[in-house]
Amino acid sequence: MPERQTVQTLCRMCDDRCAINVYLEDGKIVDIDGYKDHPWNRGRLCVKARAAVDMVYHPERLLKPLKKTKKGFEEIPLEQALDEIAERLSTVKEKYGARSVSIWKGEAIGFAQEEEMARRFVHALGSPNYFSNDSMCYNGRYFGYRLVEGSWPVPDYESSRCVVLWGANPPHAHPNMTQMIMRARKAGAKLVVVDPRMSAIARQADLHAALKPGTDGALALGLIQQLIETQMFDREFVENYTVGFDELAGYAKAFSPEAVEGETGVPAALVREIARTMAGAAPRVTVYVGNGPEHHENGINNIRAVACLDAILGALDREGGNRLVDGFQGAHLTLYDEIPLEHLGPIGADRFPVLYGFRQECHTMTGMDTILSGKPYPLRAMILTAANPAMTNPNTLKVRKALESLDLFVVRDLFMTETTELADYVLPAASFLERVELHTHAKYQTVTMTRKILEYPDVQDEYQFWHDLSHRLGFGKYFPWKDETELTSWILESADLSLEQAAAHPEGIEYAPIRYERWKSETLGTPSGKVEFRSQYLEDLGYPALPEYKPPAYLDAPDPDYPYVLITGARKLLYYHSRFRNIKRFRTAIPGPEAELHPRDAAALGVADGEEIRITSRIGSLEVPVKIMSKSEILPGTLQLTHGWKEANANLLTHDDRFDPISGFPLMKAVEVRLEKVEKV
Amino acid sequence: MRIVAVDPTSCVACRNCEYACAFKQTGDFDTKASNIRVNFYPEERVCIPWTCVHCGEGWCMEICPAGAILRNPETGAVEIDAKRCAGCKMCLLACPTGSIHFDKVELVSKKCDLCGGDPSCVKFCTSGALQFVEEDEAYSFRRESLDAKLIRLFGLTKRGS
Repeated sequence: MPERQTVQTLCRMCDDRCAINVYLEDGKIVDIDGYKDHPWNRGRLCVKARAAVDMVYHPERLLKPLKKTKKGFEEIPLEQALDEIAERLSTVKEKYGARSVSIWKGEAIGFAQEEEMARRFVHALGSPNYFSNDSMCYNGRYFGYRLVEGSWPVPDYESSRCVVLWGANPPHAHPNMTQMIMRARKAGAKLVVVDPRMSAIARQADLHAALKPGTDGALALGLIQQLIETQMFDREFVENYTVGFDELAGYAKAFSPEAVEGETGVPAALVREIARTMAGAAPRVTVYVGNGPEHHENGINNIRAVACLDAILGALDREGGNRLVDGFQGAHLTLYDEIPLEHLGPIGADRFPVLYGFRQECHTMTGMDTILSGKPYPLRAMILTAANPAMTNPNTLKVRKALESLDLFVVRDLFMTETTELADYVLPAASFLERVELHTHAKYQTVTMTRKILEYPDVQDEYQFWHDLSHRLGFGKYFPWKDETELTSWILESADLSLEQAAAHPEGIEYAPIRYERWKSETLGTPSGKVEFRSQYLEDLGYPALPEYKPPAYLDAPDPDYPYVLITGARKLLYYHSRFRNIKRFRTAIPGPEAELHPRDAAALGVADGEEIRITSRIGSLEVPVKIMSKSEILPGTLQLTHGWKEANANLLTHDDRFDPISGFPLMKAVEVRLEKVEKV
Repeated sequence: MRIVAVDPTSCVACRNCEYACAFKQTGDFDTKASNIRVNFYPEERVCIPWTCVHCGEGWCMEICPAGAILRNPETGAVEIDAKRCAGCKMCLLACPTGSIHFDKVELVSKKCDLCGGDPSCVKFCTSGALQFVEEDEAYSFRRESLDAKLIRLFGLTKRGS
């Protein structure tokens, strides 16, 4: 028997970052299971985690740099690849200016220090153009809550008496959240799920509001109206710690339960019952907003309306409510203070000032237009790490055209993807089991260090890549650390911690004790320091001050040529965006894409389970087999297609020119489409 | 002994348990190979996970003409010895909970063996609907649920300690 070693680290097959035991024999990873002593997942895992073993040793893994030549991709030595990339970046920079160079950071390296490295690199190079996956995920909710509460709070599920999941499906999207919600239920909490679909979590909901896609704001304002009208709100909180209550109350008056029913399809009696349930549990009410409400043209104001509920119920930063959290006080790597570059016109900052103002992010969809048009200035080079926008950004055909036309396109990934195909250079990237990094679990206010467990000779981790490139380009002073371990040590020391301590605590180190009700003694992160039902900041930028509701286009101005409503992007347990389609056993379980259809619509189209339909939007068309759902699982007239399938890429259908005006998020969850049965000859 | 206790009030039919079990048996995710099954009834919004409870006097053991079904002395699990199984399927008929299935390729009956005392289905259950617990207190979480409600209803928590 070979000797078995165990190393504890965090899983990064999705962003839940559950603690795992990695088992090695003769230096090779042979198994993974849950690490029981971390409070986050308590030893439980989803089956993606074990598949990391398959991922890191996958026969298709990229292990050598590739260069595109006339004959296709050819392997070249790492040093040569870095030399050539540096030279070609310099050429673009000299010819068009530093701002013609951009970075795109993908979801696969997460949101911690590796994101900051990418931001640091592009700023050190002199360009403000940092793009990321956050153009379509997370930012929308962050903005909605930050505008109202000054930050995005964390649900204190276990102490809650009422858990509201709004357009979120944890069992598939954040598997580990599921056990926390179920613990709350076991202690008597009610579960309310707001979702057009009967998602996995809705299977256990006490109350399920199957609203029409994009009508979230109407329902939230309806709940606000009920709570105020029936005097079931926290008067003391509202009077002392909020601004704009009277205006919000006045605006919400029109959203009676009957009016809400007319707009959302949620029965008036259910609207009343949800309001009563929340009020009865207050202040121990947690509301978690998922990705669902973000992908709509009125997404941010809809989310703002939901966010207002915390203060109205007095649930903000209370035990069992939505908690504000302290961040880890380790040093940051961004250079926004040291090298401000806003004057160079970050892409999209003029049209979406909140996006740049809150997050120093550029707008990926505007980025594609800029590459193609050269306006307002040329954007000619991009280094993209850990993303696959040729599959996951809206309007795939345009994304491909834009990325292909760059003077220099460098992509780092573990595998060849639809995006690496477009690159001039493809560099092999390190998986999460090949990197050292600090991660925080805000809910517990702990910091945990991930461990480097294996390495391949020509596969660089994120830090080494930016380090080597910056030194070649003459700004190595911004990347002075020898390697990622030295950098991690430096960050830890800035928070009075050490590598040794971090290594000794795979269960995480609490960096600040949990506390509540900080609004009593501290100002919140909003301009007024209070909860803002009305936002002067938004009004000054030309947006409505209140979280106004606008009906989705398919309701407001129905297009008879495109009578169905397509929801895209509901996640499946086994796949993470476009990842893991190459894990063989995942394909056994979920072999391919399916359009999830209501039986009434299937009957109208004359299509049987497994037969194909053609879905056509104003952007494009695709063919896909149908899965006929139970009549309670999806609304009639509405269908769902999960993204990330090359066999039926949902983003051939999605719009890249219809946005939420505040966040710039694209419309992806209420796309007007036409359906036809594909007749097989 | 410890058993896999199931809680239909927490299960969301995510199928992690079925995948984890199938993987343990075959290295693949064909859930037909799983020894735990989850039934989902969409119209009623009901999810019921179920696997063998390792009966004290297992009818499968009694009926098996080959004497292939035996209790593991260490874990208490009722296990099928594939080498002795004749493939007669009598155990499928005898099991009152339908917890045994027939492997059409290997031509033997298959059931839960508690993974030798560390059941994979429980480790990969993200909702907490599956717990690996001592049989005498397998459903004590029901009392704990009741306690939580009573504590809240009567305000039983006392201040200061």
